[in-house]
Amino acid sequence: MSIFVAILVGVAMGIVFGFALEKSRVFEPGMIVGQMQMKNFIMLKVFLTAVATGAVVLAVLNGFGYVKLAPKPALYAADIIGGLILGAGITLAGACPGTTLAQIGTGYRDALFTLIGGLLGAVAYTYAQPMLSKTFLAQGGGKIIFSDLIGLPYWMAALVLAAVLVAALFALEAWRPWRGEMGRDVDGDLESTGNSPRATARVQPAE
Amino acid sequence: MLTQKAWSPYLAGVVIGLLQIPAFLIIETALGASSSYVTVGALFTSWVDPSILTIKYASSHVATTAKNWWQVALVVGVAIGAFLSMKLSGAKRAAVSPVWTRALGTASPAKRYAVAFFGGFIMLFGARLADGCTSGHGLSGMAQLSVGSTVAVAAMFTGAIATAFLLLRRL
Repeated sequence: MSIFVAILVGVAMGIVFGFALEKSRVFEPGMIVGQMQMKNFIMLKVFLTAVATGAVVLAVLNGFGYVKLAPKPALYAADIIGGLILGAGITLAGACPGTTLAQIGTGYRDALFTLIGGLLGAVAYTYAQPMLSKTFLAQGGGKIIFSDLIGLPYWMAALVLAAVLVAALFALEAWRPWRGEMGRDVDGDLESTGNSPRATARVQPAE
Repeated sequence: MLTQKAWSPYLAGVVIGLLQIPAFLIIETALGASSSYVTVGALFTSWVDPSILTIKYASSHVATTAKNWWQVALVVGVAIGAFLSMKLSGAKRAAVSPVWTRALGTASPAKRYAVAFFGGFIMLFGARLADGCTSGHGLSGMAQLSVGSTVAVAAMFTGAIATAFLLLRRL
């Protein structure tokens, strides 16, 4: 495929992605930090719904032989250490690598600093990569997927995962209806709506 | 619908999940975001330090392949899409989200910018070390039932939740 077509497809897909991130409000720092402090669950709802949808899509596409799966190799030490560092970064940035761009699009100025920090972090890793690739961090198994471990065809296990996630999402929605998690300015800031019991208990904002 | 301020997270999640169809069918890859930071970062760096391209990891990400530049286009599109969505709904955002005043215990934009910069740095360093982020390991890896991606996502949430409770004040 030509680069030109790939870029056009990328921009078009990105616009849809950015639209969905903005409309769901999951790109808001208040939603991302709020999720990590268990104050709201919008991020988990969007994330698990997208995983379930992707699982159904790939069950069909792969099951009928239209596409090959492309799982990443399991590098357990790198997955765990990298994942922990990435997670700490997500909380401090109030964003993930994709939603950083959505924050920039909506005018959050601090997201520009997240972006610059992110580019430099990626460059720092690039310089370190030849050395890191000689350590235990590059060790691990192949492209292992759960369905192979349990001996089911991928499409069947993916549909089971989707069904489990849908059930979990129904339970989550019954426990925490999404409309109650938006906040007055749809930014996940529940404190200013008086939704939170602590809002009445605290007169002065914490300094 | 396009002018609404908020959609149900389930509708938005389905839309995002459906993006795997063009990703797999047209580009023959899974949805992801963090390698684009290597493509752009290494390209910029190569203008001041051309020797970075002797690192295979850098040159393979900068190479003019459909996958590399599709992902850069994707994240640029995310900014455009979020901008359009916000304009259509008429939402207005401050320069810094008001939640940071409580989370950081200060209203100073300079302190927030410093935290954002540091957060962004370790976010991408960690993502590249783990070989994926919330999109590549999270959305795509878990949908593909990848064992490594599931481990990475568990670590991601562990690191994020620990940081949110230990380093930030309660929202």
